[in-house]
Amino acid sequence: MKRTTGERIIYWTLPVVAVMWIAAFFLFPGFLPPMSPTWSPARVAAFYRDHTSRVRYSMILFNWFCVALIPILMLIVERMRGMAHRTPIMRYCLIGVAGAAPIAFLTSTIFWLLAAFRPDRAPALTQLYNDLAWITFTCGIPFLVAICFFLAVSIYLDQQVRPVFGRWVAHFNILAAIALVPAGFAGLTLNGPFAWNGFLSFWVKNVVIALWIAVMAVVLGRAAPRGGALVEAPA
Amino acid sequence: MTRRSWRSDPKRELWLAWYATVAFYSLYTVVFFVITRIQPPGKPWYSPVQVTEWFAGRHDGLLVGFALIFVLGGLSATALALITYSIRRMSVSRAFAYSYLILYAIAAVPGFLFICVAMTVGAMRPDRNPAVLRWLYDFGFLSFSGTMGVFLVGSLIWMTAILLDDNRVFPKWFGYLNLCNALTEVVVAPSWIFHGGVLAWNGTIAWWINVVVFGLYTGVFIFLLRQMILREDFGTGPLPDLGLGGPAGQVLAEAAS
Repeated sequence: MKRTTGERIIYWTLPVVAVMWIAAFFLFPGFLPPMSPTWSPARVAAFYRDHTSRVRYSMILFNWFCVALIPILMLIVERMRGMAHRTPIMRYCLIGVAGAAPIAFLTSTIFWLLAAFRPDRAPALTQLYNDLAWITFTCGIPFLVAICFFLAVSIYLDQQVRPVFGRWVAHFNILAAIALVPAGFAGLTLNGPFAWNGFLSFWVKNVVIALWIAVMAVVLGRAAPRGGALVEAPA
Repeated sequence: MTRRSWRSDPKRELWLAWYATVAFYSLYTVVFFVITRIQPPGKPWYSPVQVTEWFAGRHDGLLVGFALIFVLGGLSATALALITYSIRRMSVSRAFAYSYLILYAIAAVPGFLFICVAMTVGAMRPDRNPAVLRWLYDFGFLSFSGTMGVFLVGSLIWMTAILLDDNRVFPKWFGYLNLCNALTEVVVAPSWIFHGGVLAWNGTIAWWINVVVFGLYTGVFIFLLRQMILREDFGTGPLPDLGLGGPAGQVLAEAAS
């Protein structure tokens, strides 16, 4: 069996888990449209009373599968071995944030599940869990920003005739990092594009994350055969 | 350094990571001490009403300061990467390097993301029930001070690697400074129990002495990492083209694995 077989298996888990992510996204009743931070505690509590099951099922799905991004990120780290770098520093940077990015998201699923666990508790406490979930989900981007940034730097430094990833992938990662930035400011307002349900903090951020996964999947798929060829290349 | 392109500098990755480390710790200091003013920390014995006033007094600072951490906090990984690299240069098992990397990578969520989330959620609704606000206040400060094990074991891992190392990547005395840093994580444990006094989360031991030790330790390791980079000798030749799979490329790939 070739060394690349395992990598192919990991790679092809992506479409499967992507289906899970999309299903969970549509199953959660608070995403379409996103719940507003201006809701009163009573309305938040009513939301969890009315949609208890869908909150639970969707967040259990996310809790299971959000960390499935980690093996994909490790494939990117493996491809980075082919980059013309002198040290493993950039790979260590990426490994250093690859775990925390989905764990931040996993933490938000825990708050959502706690909110739905006892829908009859005092509304102020359900609102607290709801706020913790949304702020962790929306603002918990430092590791995603860093993944994009570290990848971009790695690609810019990969100066060889046939770089592992094209230069445009670095530009794309810089743009993705910039597009994620407004979400970090979601705590500052309850209305408008920066609020957690706003155009920038919700729609732009989540569309960019989806786009990033799709684009990186494509370039990763293209980079894989060459990575394999490199191992077997005659000296 | 001459005026040649920084991208052809053989140590470019190390220097990028080092400057990013300096930038991260500078940002961290400014955000925690100046913008949010959550250091020195609030009093653990505050009543719910006093906690509400505490949040009101730094409403904008908390939200803006932690937004900056939400955006830039991932830069902290550059320090981990450099330290992991430093351990790889030592005559010890790779297990030490990878242990350090993983311990500090997972520390990021309870160690700084939790306080950012708790304080942001607290500040975003000043009219929240004061008792609930104090719950967030406790969560923020105690998760920040009380995420102990990863830093305790991480420091001991680095210490052990330095003391065992024959390559003298770091001076032995810095190994013992790691022990001092590890001990700060021991003496902070009572902050989970006491609401006042020297061992509380804002106390003379649990905060004032610990912050001096941590500040000194961080300053010293940033300086020593710089010394390590200056000492590195990769030669000055061009990078071999890995894509062609030539012998030089394979040697390099081997070295970087």
